[in-house]
Amino acid sequence: MKKILFVLLVGLVMSVNGQNYYVYVTAESEDEVALIKFDGKDAVVEKTIPVGVWPAEIEGPHGINVSPDGKYWYLSLAHGNPYGTLYKYSTETNEVVGKVELGLFPASLQVSEATGLLYCVNFDLHGDMVPSTVSVVDPEDMMEIQRIETGVMPHGSRISSDGLFHYSVGMMSGELFEINTTRLKVNRVLQLDGKKEEPAKNAMAGMDHSQMDHSQMDHSKMGHDKMYHSKVKPTWVIPHPTNNKVYVAGNGSDEILEVDLEKWEITNRMATGKAPYNVDISPDGRYMVATYKASAETGVWDLKKGKELARVKNSRKVSHGVSISSDSKYAFVSVEGIGGEPGTMDVIDIKKATKVASVDMGKQAGGIIFWKMEE
Amino acid sequence: MLVIKLLSILVCLSIGVVHAQELTLKVSTEPTTMKIGQSIQLQAAVVDGQGNEVEGREYLFFSRDRRALSVVDTTGLATAMKHGEYSIVVISPNKDKGRLRADIQVIIEPEAIAKVEIEDVPGEIYAGVTIPLSIKVIDEANFERPEVDVNITSSNTKIVSVAPFKKLIANSGGKSTITVEAGGVETKLDIKIVDNPIVKIELAADKTDGRSGDVFTLQARALDKSGKVVQDAPINYSFTGESYDVSAAPSGLMTDEGKFVADEPGLYVLHATCGSAAASVTISANQRNITRKIDLIGRGSINTKHTSDLWIWEGVDGKDYAVTGTWGADGKAYFWDVTDPASITLIDSVQVDARTVNDVKISEDGKTCVISREGASNRKNGLVIIDVTNPKDVSIISEFSENLTGGVHNVFIYKNHVYALSAGRKYYSVNIEDPANPKIVGEFELDTPGHAIHDVWVEDGIAYSSNWDDGVQLVDIGNGIAGGSPSSPVQFASYAYPSGSNHAAFPYRDKKTGKFYVILGDEEFPYGLDPGGKKPSRAAGFLHIIDFTDLKNPKEVAWFQVPFAGSHNFWVEDDVLYAAFYNAGVRVIDISGELLGDLNRQGREIAWIVPEDPDGYVPNAPFTWGAQPHKGHIFYSDWNSGLWSAKLRPVVPENAAVESK
Repeated sequence: MKKILFVLLVGLVMSVNGQNYYVYVTAESEDEVALIKFDGKDAVVEKTIPVGVWPAEIEGPHGINVSPDGKYWYLSLAHGNPYGTLYKYSTETNEVVGKVELGLFPASLQVSEATGLLYCVNFDLHGDMVPSTVSVVDPEDMMEIQRIETGVMPHGSRISSDGLFHYSVGMMSGELFEINTTRLKVNRVLQLDGKKEEPAKNAMAGMDHSQMDHSQMDHSKMGHDKMYHSKVKPTWVIPHPTNNKVYVAGNGSDEILEVDLEKWEITNRMATGKAPYNVDISPDGRYMVATYKASAETGVWDLKKGKELARVKNSRKVSHGVSISSDSKYAFVSVEGIGGEPGTMDVIDIKKATKVASVDMGKQAGGIIFWKMEE
Repeated sequence: MLVIKLLSILVCLSIGVVHAQELTLKVSTEPTTMKIGQSIQLQAAVVDGQGNEVEGREYLFFSRDRRALSVVDTTGLATAMKHGEYSIVVISPNKDKGRLRADIQVIIEPEAIAKVEIEDVPGEIYAGVTIPLSIKVIDEANFERPEVDVNITSSNTKIVSVAPFKKLIANSGGKSTITVEAGGVETKLDIKIVDNPIVKIELAADKTDGRSGDVFTLQARALDKSGKVVQDAPINYSFTGESYDVSAAPSGLMTDEGKFVADEPGLYVLHATCGSAAASVTISANQRNITRKIDLIGRGSINTKHTSDLWIWEGVDGKDYAVTGTWGADGKAYFWDVTDPASITLIDSVQVDARTVNDVKISEDGKTCVISREGASNRKNGLVIIDVTNPKDVSIISEFSENLTGGVHNVFIYKNHVYALSAGRKYYSVNIEDPANPKIVGEFELDTPGHAIHDVWVEDGIAYSSNWDDGVQLVDIGNGIAGGSPSSPVQFASYAYPSGSNHAAFPYRDKKTGKFYVILGDEEFPYGLDPGGKKPSRAAGFLHIIDFTDLKNPKEVAWFQVPFAGSHNFWVEDDVLYAAFYNAGVRVIDISGELLGDLNRQGREIAWIVPEDPDGYVPNAPFTWGAQPHKGHIFYSDWNSGLWSAKLRPVVPENAAVESK
């Protein structure tokens, strides 16, 4: 009888709660985006949206984000001929409403609430070791208005909660960049490897490769192995909503770096699982959740205590992205998988630091963004 | 640079978002007019409900057309570069979500017309000839102005009259001055018309009896009254005709050089004219009659995943084998025994860390296989070298990803080197003399803006790379024609076409005519994807036949198109083209002899076969990837159903006796 009452009580609480959470997740090797609904108990793929235009070529949906007003979602398709493309979709219909070509391998992106403009890093993952750029796009007209040069392989990026500063990291140059979203210029650069010189300049920066005939060069004698490769290998940066700090995933050094924006220096190094990749911070500022790509885990951190509460095993290998619900209760984690495995989205109850649901989707689940809560 | 401060009164324009304090972003409602080269300080201000400017606001200005009107900064300094009507967006950001936004319209006035240019016309023109004029109107800012009206007059219309569409008609001997006026600027051209000496044209065709699709080459001799040949006679060629099929209209193609090809079998009259002199010759284009039955022989079904490329080869044991790749799946490549094409047997497979094995190739000696990798879990793609000496027990020799991490979409093996694409930008020459230790020895990359590459094919020491917008590139990697080698590739010829869809290339030399063609295939998907993700996609695009006989002046001469389908990979053997056309299966095409015009309409298609499979990965959705002839059979791979084999029935002589039981 007690058991029955307990079940009824839980059911009552669930129905009173009645919240549905919606998340968009990219399937990078399936050229799909999954719209996933989590009702507090189960996660299901509500809709699968094919993306791109080439059915027989993988275009690689990578970065994804939702406009501040929730009316649109934006998606970067990494591969093109050769440039990638940014697409704008309606959240109402999940149909394309605009697109614009960006640079090589466009990746993470976000719209600034202050300017209304979208900032997307051009990762250039497989290009020469030269500084790449952040594209600035007017999402109303879907027009690129500026490219701002940053570091080598700029990957993770996020905008401060006031919308005035864009942060990104150069994965191979080991740099943190702060861009003024109004002036469209790099404000500050922080070398995360602790070197005084600027690695981007020491790699192959400054060279005008467009004027070079690489086919005439003997690359075997160029010492590519001696080019600068960051030890920290930062892959993500997330600004805290209130404490004037940003947190950087040190994918190469197995740590998360806390950077004080006032001092513009690293103020803490937090040891993590293997190869932290993406990081998100709960809107209430209390928790940080990081994916550990190589150990297939997700770390849940209490930022006040500066302590890792738990490492949650993900459903399969190659943990990728993380996005936290607006009520700070759940972290949604994309897990790529390997080869023919499906991708998976895991749902983690942050307070309990446990996985509470997961759902399979298209191959290589990657970019992920929480969209909305709805009763 | 002239900087003008616009201090005019700003008129309120409430385009921006109004928030709690009812702030508005004020800009001029009237278009701002500028001259080319001029810079102007644009003005914008955030004001409160009382019209007072709010201090401390920042502004961001950007142009919707940066190449014509530049401004991307916080000051609003705009510089005009090209005439036209443009708009500039002004944003005043606000951290409290009270962002304001407005548009400023700008008109950049066109410069006055500076000159009118007329392309050269011959010094002397024969009476009776029509002369097209090529005219350019250029303004003071050096912009071409095609929209400006052009007036053409002749000083003596009895000698030269003006016809519509910028054409002149040479009426009779004498001189006339042609005046071309645009925007108040005139250019004059003196034209001398001489009496047409041509009184007779002698016309002959290289043959009068042929088939649709055969090229009839005309030889015209223009003679004066003394019977002397006039070498510079401007001869126009044309044709009329009647179809042998009453339900079909006669059609064909005549070139400026006097080459004619009939699409529709019929009787055609080919004309040559010069002034009042004319001649004609009648030819018969008969039915081509090359269609043959094709039979499905066998198949190796793959219906749990997509299939990509194929390669068929004779193994070291004399038996015949095939390798097929997989797409968007689990990184497998399959090996088949196809010795009996009616009984295709799966004999082995390999699995690598990839989601797509897009391309598969076998070395000339049948011992080494190279497959491409895309979608590796560590994002370090590349190629995999496999020992296929015993195709029933293949083994991976090495994996190689140096400089290839971005994904190898296509590869080719030629004389101990693998030519491997890297991240769709270039290809590397990888020496595999020691297949356990491949090493990069060279690379080829274009230097054009935004260059990309899709495929590379090697034959006789020449690499043919398909480079989308940059078309096909012919590169010497050991042929000797341009002194190239695998470590030092040398580009010596190229051809690009406007659609920019060049996806694959295959060379073909016609022994009878001595013509050297390169067949270029498009890849296009203009209809997009099914939003529901359930219906198969539909391709477009076709095969372009480029005559490369004169390497310095390649010319697009013919094409092969299948309605409602698009080309993919293809192969040529013995004057026959085997082409995969995605939704339309395999098309077998007769490409013997000189090629000109629309090969499909000419009846050059020998046969076709479509791999429809109700049990396919996507049921009943043929999507044929590639086709390869081998020892009298045609093998083809299909995206949704795997490996297939077919065979053309023999050609039956027209008068062969039919035996009946």
